[in-house]
This record gives sequence, C-alpha cells and structure tokens, in this order.
Amino acid sequence: MKLSRAPLLLRLLVLTALPALPCRAQVDPWEFEVYPYATNQRGVAEFESDNAIVENGHQTGGEALASGTVPSERTFYNAYEFTYGLTDRIEAAVYLKMAQPNDSGLQWAGDNFRLRGRLFDEDVLPVNVGWYAELEWHKTPQFDDAQRELELRPILEKDFGRLAVTANPIFEKVLAGAGHNQGFEFGYDAEVAWRGARLMSPGLEFYGGTGLLDHMDPVRGQQHYLFPVVWGELPCGIEYNFGVGKGLTKGSDQTIFKFNIELERFIGAIFKASPNNGWFF
Amino acid sequence: MTPRKKFTRNIFIFSVLSSLSLGQANEGPSAKPLEIDLSNHKFSPQVLPVPAGRPLQIRVVNLSKETIEFESFSLNREKVVEPGKSITVRLPALKAGSYDFFDDFHQDVPEGAIVAK
Repeated sequence: MKLSRAPLLLRLLVLTALPALPCRAQVDPWEFEVYPYATNQRGVAEFESDNAIVENGHQTGGEALASGTVPSERTFYNAYEFTYGLTDRIEAAVYLKMAQPNDSGLQWAGDNFRLRGRLFDEDVLPVNVGWYAELEWHKTPQFDDAQRELELRPILEKDFGRLAVTANPIFEKVLAGAGHNQGFEFGYDAEVAWRGARLMSPGLEFYGGTGLLDHMDPVRGQQHYLFPVVWGELPCGIEYNFGVGKGLTKGSDQTIFKFNIELERFIGAIFKASPNNGWFF
Repeated sequence: MTPRKKFTRNIFIFSVLSSLSLGQANEGPSAKPLEIDLSNHKFSPQVLPVPAGRPLQIRVVNLSKETIEFESFSLNREKVVEPGKSITVRLPALKAGSYDFFDDFHQDVPEGAIVAK
C-alpha cells in the first residue's frame, strides 16, 4: 500500500506544480497590433510606439501576458518600432521593448527584428496575402524566460467595401531558453475595421493564444482578448489606435488599455523600384 | 479512393480553380487607366468621376519636386510617388459614392474625391 502511495503523491505534486510553470506567450503584450497587408513603401520610414497597461491582471509571474517572473498586474508595456520600406513589397523593422512593473522604473525587456512583405498587388488574389518573420531576443527572465524566439505569420486581408477584415495567425517557436525543446505555439491577431472617417473610425480587434500546436492548453488556460478600438489619423499626420481589452478566459488578464501612435515619412530609397506586376520583391 | 474522398477531392480542386479564376478576373480591370496629376500642391482633377460597378486603374503622376504619398482612407490604398514618377492604383468595382484621396506627406494639399456613378 505504501509503495503505491508514493507515486500517487508524486503525481499529485506534479499536477499541483503544473499550473505554476511559466506558460509561453502567444500573446505579445508589446504588440497589440494587427498587421495589415500593406507594407511601408520603398524609402518610407515609420516610427511607432505601442503601449499597453494591464489594469486588472494576474498577481503571479508566468501567468496570462506575463511570460517571466514579473506579474502582469499593473505592468506597463512600452515598445518603440522603427520600420523602413526596403522595396515596394518588403519592409524591415527593429523594436526596442521596455516594461515598467508596478511600483518600479522602466526597464529594458528585449529587442525584435522582423521582415514583412506582401505578395502581388492589391486585389490580384481573392484575398490579399502577406508574410511576416520575426526574431526576438532578450535575456530578461523577469519578463520572458525564453531567450530567442522565432515568429512567423501569414497575413490575410479582405476588403468588403469600407469594411476591412484582417487575420494574422501566429506560429511561434522558442529557439533558446525555456521551452526550446518544444514545438510551435499557435496564436492569432485579427481585426474587423470600419473605414468611416479618417479622423476616427471604429474597429474590433482579437488577440489570443491556444498553446502548443500539438498540445493545446485547456480553454480556461488559454488567452483570448477582445478589444473595441478607435483608430484614425490626426490632422498632423500622426496615426493612432486606442482600445480597451477584455480577457475572455480565466487564463487571460481581465482589463488592458492599449494606445499606439505612428508617424511615417519618406527618407529616401536604397533599392530600385519594384517591378510592375511583380509578386515578391 | 472512396466516393466520399473523391467528392471531397473534387470540391477542393473546384475551390482552388474557382479562386484562381476569380484572381484572374480581378487582375484585369477593363478600362484604360484614368489619371490624376499632382503639381503646385494641388491634385488635378480634384474630383475624378469613374464608372461604378467596374474594377479600374488610376494612374497617379507626381509633377511636383517632392515625394508624395497618394492615399485614400476609404479605399484602403496608399502609394508613394517620387518626383517626376507615376504609379498605378488598382481598385475593385466601386459602389456609387464618393471616395477621398489625399497626399499623406503634405497635409496642406487639398483633399480630392473619386466619385463613382
């Protein structure tokens, strides 16, 4: 009897410990942004700041938006993104990611480098298709226990008159750090936006993560968020997107405010014009 | 191959072919490109009438000495045009109505409209 009880206790201990293990982040708190099909045109530079504050989150690290030891509750996630249009169909971007945990100063949280492109011209395919490849690196276990990650997204967009529907399925793989021996994780960013007025228009954004592709988390442990947003362009040319997010599952943080701004300008092209009717470059 | 699998396969092939043909159909706007020029910080014509219900192409010519970004918020289009160069904007069949366009790099350039009738 004693012999059989030991493995049972061990099993119970493991089961109790499992929820405390840091879960991987298929929802990136530095990037509450849905990527459209259109890329920055050749020679155009864009400066963007993405910001999110978790107003009502989790008190323990490794839960919901927090992938490291710092809890998400009252954490301010702040990212700066510089994007440059290499060709008319491909852009490159670098990110500086910062975070300010509750009652603490702003700290460096990591960097990203990404390439994004669009295939063909608008409306050549029934659905406009783009691609996205990103490398993340950080040695900041307080914010993310993975050191290097690869993120791949197809970008799908379709306009129905003034209504634009965009979806970014996300496939993420840890290359170094905790979880590097696991497979791809799945997440999504999506948006339904109404192009009403240039100054201010409404939209609905969706963000979520379901866990590993071959081993999905139970639904209550998954993260799913719904953000009603307003977005548009101010008369000075600054574009903005503001929204309040609501977590839809227990595994999600409950209330998040996001505010993104961006400004683009032509600074000069380094490559020749893309060929007409081209599909990749 | 079971009849069910065969049916599924046929449906898949049909869907792919339909999508491709739809893509082909979208590829060729029938009309000759219409033209909008920009010079002296002004679009010309300021109001461009176009036929509704038909895909079309608009050629944008930048006759100014500055790089511009031809943008239409309502049509979800933005393209950079360098000085002395032109670009072509493809548009799907439009419902009757008015659609804005402007130079996103120069907010002082008066906004124009594409009017589909």
